[in-house]
Amino acid sequence: MATNEPEHEHRDDEEAVANEDEDTGAQVAPIVRLEEVAVTTGEEDEDAVLDLKSKLYRFDKDANQWKERGAGTVKLLKHKNTGKIRLVMRQSKTLKICANHFVKPGMSVQEHVGNEKSCVWHASDYADGELKDELFCIRFASIENCKAFMEKFNEVGESEEKKEESKDASDTAGLLEKLTVEETKTEEKPVEKVKTEVEAEEKKKGEPEKADEEKKTEEASPSA
Amino acid sequence: MALPNQQTVEYPSFKLVIVGDGGTGKTTFVKRHLTGEFEKKYEPTIGVEVHPLDFFTNCGKIRFYCWDTAGQEKFGGLRDGYYIHGQCAVIMFDVTARLTYKNVPTWHRDLCRVCENIPIVLCGNKVDVKNRQVKAKQVTFHRKKNLQYYEISAKSNYNFEKPFLYLARKLAGDPNLHFVESPALAPPEVQIDMAVQQQHEAELLVAATQPLPDDDDDTFE
Repeated sequence: MATNEPEHEHRDDEEAVANEDEDTGAQVAPIVRLEEVAVTTGEEDEDAVLDLKSKLYRFDKDANQWKERGAGTVKLLKHKNTGKIRLVMRQSKTLKICANHFVKPGMSVQEHVGNEKSCVWHASDYADGELKDELFCIRFASIENCKAFMEKFNEVGESEEKKEESKDASDTAGLLEKLTVEETKTEEKPVEKVKTEVEAEEKKKGEPEKADEEKKTEEASPSA
Repeated sequence: MALPNQQTVEYPSFKLVIVGDGGTGKTTFVKRHLTGEFEKKYEPTIGVEVHPLDFFTNCGKIRFYCWDTAGQEKFGGLRDGYYIHGQCAVIMFDVTARLTYKNVPTWHRDLCRVCENIPIVLCGNKVDVKNRQVKAKQVTFHRKKNLQYYEISAKSNYNFEKPFLYLARKLAGDPNLHFVESPALAPPEVQIDMAVQQQHEAELLVAATQPLPDDDDDTFE
């Protein structure tokens, strides 16, 4: 029936799946035999303290312009033993790495002029398996997400400094995890694994929340 | 199949030939996968550019040597050398330019003359554009010749991984093969030089005033 025919111009996930299922290709003999291998993400010893959909750009100095690097999920990962934080971003679908660098003391992220959904920073990036100085810009779907990212990034830099001074790592950890709680509550699509982990954490500690709120208002006011 | 001056790798690699009329987006598509960027400027490819593209799958790392060929063959088709030892192929056309679809049979014929029985994906590129000249329903060539068809957009990344996924599955004879997260290795520690750091900060201030190339789309595919 003509009325039941799907609209071909209309593209959504359902149709994409339907297209994918239909294999109209010829039967060809495989030319390699591949065995299933153990998959390692390299993130096994880390917890995500932030996990947001975004689009990443790198600055092309020769062309004096921003160029797309990838769209997908950006994470701030905290190492379970060392407490070190790094930023890892993967391209959606292919899951390739488009950014991979530590967030170190003294590093900071700044507003991107004229766009409240994006911000910029410099890093020595290891995405391609060799260190490269990059200027990054990241754009989020909402101003709120961008703020959450900036706060966390800058806080990580500061708290790493604090940790190195006083070796008071547990406070820092509490603060970071609290921030994640804040975020998962406000986000429409929180990441499950982060959420559950954080909820457990929430029951353990009640105090750092205030510190967190103070920080938030502190940092929110100058930009407003 | 690697070029003589190209490093060989110890994991499976395949020669992928990408053909189609000039301006259909072959180079842009490859670049998108290589660096993430979307190149708007059209600079016709001369001869061929070979780019290695790695993917991580549940069956290990694989590499496609992408032979990005010149579509503007004013001198009558590509020489056999481009096709020879091709193990898989992509034929690209532009859904906003009817002629590029009309020429698909020619590209297919030339390809099959050299490469017999290889998996081939037909890609209708630029499906993000509103005024299409070739509608999905009008694309029928793949059914006649047993090719796989994907509508793609190098601009929006719609289905941009599908051609590689399909070819990888066929080459390995594994319909369940899928892409997995590549290992994010711990970056080496770097010593921050204050002078260099200051230079970066200065560059960052300038960069922060430059607009982004695409502010309109928030889907992040």
